[in-house]
Amino acid sequence: MSILECKDLSKNYGHAPALDHVSFTVEPGHIVGLLGPNGSGKTTLIKLANGLLTPSEGSITICGMAPGKNTCAAVSYLPERTAIPTWMSAAQLLDFYGDFYADFRRDAAEEMLHHLNIQPKQRIKQMSKGTREKVQLIMVMSRAAKLYLLDEPIGGVDPATRDYILSTIIGNYNPEGAVVISTHLIADVEKVLDEVVFINQGRLVLRSSVDEIREEKGMSVDALFREVFKC
Amino acid sequence: MRWQFSNELPIYSQLIEQIKVGVVSGMFPPGERLPSVRDLATEAGVNPNTMQRAMTELERDGLVYSQRTAGRFVTEDKVMIENAKRDLAQHHIHAFLAAMFRLGFQRDEIASLLQQQTQEEGLSNVDSGM
Amino acid sequence: MLRKLLKHEFRATGRIMGPLYLVLLVTAVGANFSTRGLLEGDGWFLDMLGGLLVIAFTVAIMGVCLMSLVLMVQRFYRNLLGDEGYVMMTLPVSIHQQIWSKLIVSAVWFAATFLAVCLAGGIMVYDVDFMKQFLKGLGELIQHITGYYAINGAALAAELILLAFLSCCAMCLLFYAAMAAGHSFANRKSLLSVAFFFGFQFALQIISATVVNLLDKIGVFDLLPDWQLEGLAGMHIAIWIGIAAVVLYGAVFYFITAYCLKRHLNLE
Repeated sequence: MSILECKDLSKNYGHAPALDHVSFTVEPGHIVGLLGPNGSGKTTLIKLANGLLTPSEGSITICGMAPGKNTCAAVSYLPERTAIPTWMSAAQLLDFYGDFYADFRRDAAEEMLHHLNIQPKQRIKQMSKGTREKVQLIMVMSRAAKLYLLDEPIGGVDPATRDYILSTIIGNYNPEGAVVISTHLIADVEKVLDEVVFINQGRLVLRSSVDEIREEKGMSVDALFREVFKC
Repeated sequence: MRWQFSNELPIYSQLIEQIKVGVVSGMFPPGERLPSVRDLATEAGVNPNTMQRAMTELERDGLVYSQRTAGRFVTEDKVMIENAKRDLAQHHIHAFLAAMFRLGFQRDEIASLLQQQTQEEGLSNVDSGM
Repeated sequence: MLRKLLKHEFRATGRIMGPLYLVLLVTAVGANFSTRGLLEGDGWFLDMLGGLLVIAFTVAIMGVCLMSLVLMVQRFYRNLLGDEGYVMMTLPVSIHQQIWSKLIVSAVWFAATFLAVCLAGGIMVYDVDFMKQFLKGLGELIQHITGYYAINGAALAAELILLAFLSCCAMCLLFYAAMAAGHSFANRKSLLSVAFFFGFQFALQIISATVVNLLDKIGVFDLLPDWQLEGLAGMHIAIWIGIAAVVLYGAVFYFITAYCLKRHLNLE
């Protein structure tokens, strides 16, 4: 069964369509890049998959189920902004994730926090913005989830942090699950992707594997993106 | 090991070549156990599926072999490694020649240029040795 | 899962309410000292100190009451509708569990605040002569009233406390519904939340006035005098009707909240 399936998925905000009859599937074991310029509908799609929005038309399913309580147990979501409660200490945050998610690998998370020199008693509030983002990523990637939905994980970070984020993703995702990474910074992520889905103005423009693009067109996904979305 | 990727070729074929270089240069010595696919992928910053594909191709060529439980190893066949080294050398020579032809050099000119370069480098080596 | 939500909700709120209760009790002890001696003592310093201690106690009472209200609003708004909403609203729990966890924790803090203030009041008046006499007089008064009107005082008090408690819960739900409705819009979420709050309250008043009016017209209240003759049983009935009304409008606000969070969540 597909991990994620969109069928004719549409979402309107008022009269403006944010997503316009999008259909595609994501299969187990794949890392998929959801690529498009700013405002193309990437975040809307990810919010729909998380049940934070409801579709206007069409359907979106995760492992065959409509988004809800059950799919949330299978989905690990990295929102665009830092959302972990700041009053908690690192240890309390670990308790929190451990309590709510049966697939949370606490020892893996502890090791990664230790690697960043974060003490269990340290409060999220006392951490720098960059560290908070890393802590949130660690929580998300420490789950053995069926689907990881990562919304702009490398937006606005320096190259060293970008490498840290990408290697944390590759080194920790559940190989039986699937990963969806939304971004407009394609050159940075294309090496870690199996497939790409281009969306623009809410419509699906292209769907292909990364090696296919390089083999058939003789260009990188980044170069193809620039060509497709030329202003 | 430093991993670098160009934009034109598929990632997996670039991985194959770089692992070959690793084996030929002794970075991965004959008979040695290779890191797991996920570790290698994390190190290279590439998708583990792509790394797996590269490994499968290398296995098909015989440069690495896998033992069901113990993992994946570099071949102990020195001749095969030597052949791989020659293949890589051929590849570089072809690329070099193609570039020189584009610049308008003839085969004999290239040969003499190479010889000249070798002599100069030899001299400078002696210089720095003294 | 509701248990786990409650656990973390108590963790988040307890770290604020706990110390506040402690401050309240400490100032109560201070105020007790002050009323027992300092105020009557001579010397401007002791007088001033006594005055300050009483003021501190009053401020602490107001602070605790205000904080339990503010916390109720803020936990819902920040935790579910702000940035933290991205984490909270994607937990494997239902919307109903989310609302109940917030409501239960707020209700518990309201009750705890009530008890803490009573306790603090008790500490403050402990062994103070004129308060002792005042309370004694009050007790006698209640006894007389109970004897005279043949009202079951304890039952009436319990009913009144229940009504007050349920009104608090319904008020929480009114706040929740207003915030959930206000935040289902893309812009001016806070302003709209305030507008919805007053809108809902206004609607509530209009509807209850209309209902009372209608009941009056069809002659329901004509039945009341008979009840009143029967030893003020009407008092009990009035309270129970009040309780039913509060539960009813609380339920309406609950469903508005659940509907907005489920179908029209619109996190920034």
